[in-house]
Amino acid sequence: MAVKVKENLRNFCIVAHIDHGKSTLADRIMEFTGQVAERDMEDQLLDSMDLERERGITIKLTPVRMAYTAKDGKEYIFNLIDTPGHVDFTYEVSRSLAACEGAILIVDATQGIEAQTLANCYLALDNDLEIVPVINKIDLASARPDETAKEIEDVIGLDGSDAPRVSAKNGINIDQVLEKIVELVPPPKGDDDAPLKALIFDSYYDNFKGVICFVRIMDGTISAGTKIKTFMGEKQFDVTEVGTFNPGLLPKKSLSAGEVGYVAASIKSIEDIAVGDTITTSINPALEPLPGYKKVQPVVFSGIYPLDGSKFNDLKEALLKLKLNDASLTFEPDNSAALGFGFRCGFLGLLHMEIIQERIEREFDIDIITTTPSVSYHVYKTDGEMLVVDNPSRFPDVSYIDYAEEPVITANIFTPPDYVGAIMELCQEKRGTFTDMTYLDANRVRLNYTLPLNEIIFDFFDGLKSRTRGYASFDYELAGYEKSSLVKLDMLLNGEICDALSLIVHKDKAYPRGRALAERLKDVIPRQLFEIPIQAAVGGKVIARETVKAMRKDVLAKCYGGDITRKRKLLEKQKEGKKKMRQLGSVEVPSEAFMSILKIDSDNK
Amino acid sequence: MSGIYVHVPFCKSKCTYCDFASYPREIGKAELYFACLYKEIKARAESLKDYVFDTVYFGGGTPSFIDEKYIVGALRQIKNCYTLSKNAEITIEINPGTLSPEKVNAYKKAGFNRFSIGLQSADDAMLRKLNRIHTKDDFLYATQLLKGENFSVDVMIGLENQTQKDVKETIDLAVLAGASHVSAYALKAEEGTPMFGKYLNGDLPSEDETAELYDFAKAYLEEKGFLRYEVSNFAKVGYESKHNLNYWNRGEYIGFGVSASSFIKERRFTNTEKIDEYTACILRGKVAEIFSEDIVGDEREFEYIMLNLRKDEGFFFKDFENRFNCSFTEKYADRIKMVKKYIDIDDQKIAIKPEYIYVQNTIIIYFMD
Repeated sequence: MAVKVKENLRNFCIVAHIDHGKSTLADRIMEFTGQVAERDMEDQLLDSMDLERERGITIKLTPVRMAYTAKDGKEYIFNLIDTPGHVDFTYEVSRSLAACEGAILIVDATQGIEAQTLANCYLALDNDLEIVPVINKIDLASARPDETAKEIEDVIGLDGSDAPRVSAKNGINIDQVLEKIVELVPPPKGDDDAPLKALIFDSYYDNFKGVICFVRIMDGTISAGTKIKTFMGEKQFDVTEVGTFNPGLLPKKSLSAGEVGYVAASIKSIEDIAVGDTITTSINPALEPLPGYKKVQPVVFSGIYPLDGSKFNDLKEALLKLKLNDASLTFEPDNSAALGFGFRCGFLGLLHMEIIQERIEREFDIDIITTTPSVSYHVYKTDGEMLVVDNPSRFPDVSYIDYAEEPVITANIFTPPDYVGAIMELCQEKRGTFTDMTYLDANRVRLNYTLPLNEIIFDFFDGLKSRTRGYASFDYELAGYEKSSLVKLDMLLNGEICDALSLIVHKDKAYPRGRALAERLKDVIPRQLFEIPIQAAVGGKVIARETVKAMRKDVLAKCYGGDITRKRKLLEKQKEGKKKMRQLGSVEVPSEAFMSILKIDSDNK
Repeated sequence: MSGIYVHVPFCKSKCTYCDFASYPREIGKAELYFACLYKEIKARAESLKDYVFDTVYFGGGTPSFIDEKYIVGALRQIKNCYTLSKNAEITIEINPGTLSPEKVNAYKKAGFNRFSIGLQSADDAMLRKLNRIHTKDDFLYATQLLKGENFSVDVMIGLENQTQKDVKETIDLAVLAGASHVSAYALKAEEGTPMFGKYLNGDLPSEDETAELYDFAKAYLEEKGFLRYEVSNFAKVGYESKHNLNYWNRGEYIGFGVSASSFIKERRFTNTEKIDEYTACILRGKVAEIFSEDIVGDEREFEYIMLNLRKDEGFFFKDFENRFNCSFTEKYADRIKMVKKYIDIDDQKIAIKPEYIYVQNTIIIYFMD
């Protein structure tokens, strides 16, 4: 048995700040290698979900295999794994990095290095990847490639002078990128004859083939008929198919060390396979798993409930299926007095939460209600016990609380100097603590702040973008817990506390939040047959009140010449609208009310 | 009970709120239109020969605008082709600006015994704004001509800048003129009408203001001896419109002319709104229906509930049982429970509480599944 270098293989990913052109460059590389005929190209091929294309973001990793004949005359096999750019998906980036030897780092020649350029680049360096810097968007008039090259040297410490200068959009200098991949990305090493070690870096459920695992083979060989098991699971499976990405699934006889591909083994239960686990053979297995992925911690929590209570099991099935290819999603059954049975879910961030929500509604056709997002608090009770509270309804009564802590983050904010004042003001409002400010050059400043996470999850990013006309960028890292004065803000509808609308807030924010939330609810709750008082309360004390007046008229004055059908259709429409509402005590509340709090701060600006 | 409706799609000019099938510029087609109408009336006769009709209603448009010979002819055709009950209620809609002694005599002679007069407002400036062709004086003249006859007056609620005083003066005018029935309709700005622009501009009273005016009108009419028997209809005891009640009772009716709706043997159907299409169909010996729907299963019950609850008296369980062979109170027990705050119910009948009649849609949809 011997470790061999797979000279003709190159496994790499692309990292970049959002909008710097990852997906476009990936498309061009595929086009250039002839993987996809130009006329068949649909823009941004790798973003396979509708949602991804609509939002112009990549959520899921979709690898692709390409053949490239380099200028040295040899043919190389490229495995490209695209990565998401949004800060919520740092974990997904880290998964794909572990399957690669190199990373293309795209820097937008008009924007320079941004917060996520840096964050993703450090992530790649942490994984010992070779970095191939690429300067993109040179076709734009505002491009400043020389300065960008210098910035790559100054800020990241890589040699930027030699970096390909490309326009992914117009297909300029793509060949240089391919040559750099051959030159700089190290070929993978592995032993085809050693016991199998295959890293599962993603998976999804196929109705016909069962679970499809995306793997990187580190050692050994796998083919149809191989009996496999995983280190964390207990079951054994017979491999039914292996193959590579075309970017669709292309069956192959076998996959060997260094290769990236997929494995299907009629795995029917989506709980049997854990992303991050290592596949090995049942006979002559490897002794140890590969170093596992960084365990992902959800950061934002919210309740998801079926609008129609009888859909609870459908919702459960949907979440199980989503979890299969989204290991970062966590959920456990929950029960709300107002909303009945549902799930308390953990997400990587707000975008992640929105995406899961939309996927449940679109892909599984279940109408859901999502409650106000929360972070995870540490509450120390007077008896010394520490509670982890991510659900406001579990927040103990004030009299039992000794003190509480909330999660904080350290934020890196990149901005032109003009907006420093506006950003400081924003961070101040969000209870931030200034830690550092660095001038990177005459046009760029890096600000460092410590901020409470619960201020970030609402609308910090939108606020930052709107106050800096989109020029600032932002990235953060969790930085532990800090003591904080937290209270539970309750909302009462028609005199009854609605647990699904409660939230945990800093004492100083309780009054403005409560007032804004009451106003907001007044706008979204339609008038009903009786007057509805809306109250915000802290510890039983009402701090704000609004009223939804009783409806006065909803009837059609006349039936036009006996046109009863028209009237019935109108009522049917009204009934449809009613179905989108949730009955809370005596009050009908539209599902968007539960997300109202998110809109508050941006509205009040 | 069953009724006959005849649509007359002509008028002198279009009112700003009107989205009915009514075409001021098409008066030249009246001759052809009525020829076709007579044909249509006759064509349906065979299939309805077992029916005895209790009401006939000529609506529009402005039936009183066109030459009375057409109206008289149409009613004669109906009488020739169909069986009417002995005391059939025969109504024609009247615009006060179109009446003459000759017309009134012709109508009476033909057999019309009820007149529905579109007054809308007693304020001439307001009438002008609505593009109504008549004035308050025209109304006084018209009611003079109809003295001693059974007539109803239409009043609009929720007009631009309308105050309680305007509503009161309009009702006073109608009552003093001798009306036995008042329809008080809340204005609804329909898309495609000039009024819709006003609605979008926020020139019209809000829903609350309209409801306020309506509440006032209801109280004032009751003070004058006109009791509400349906959402928009008020009458002195014994003068309720049989034709309209037939709609709310889910009775059958046949409609003739453009845009006329019918409900016969659990089928609802509607004629085309276009005069040319209508005449072309009829001339070719075809029906002019553009919509038809069989009402099946629980939809029948829902229609019954929806229509009957428009009436102040609601409906009797016995009637429901006779029609649908099941007990209303048993089948809808859970729904009844949900709306019990808003209804009056005893062991014989159910009705929406008077104070909730105006917000009944919200209540009625509980009975839809």
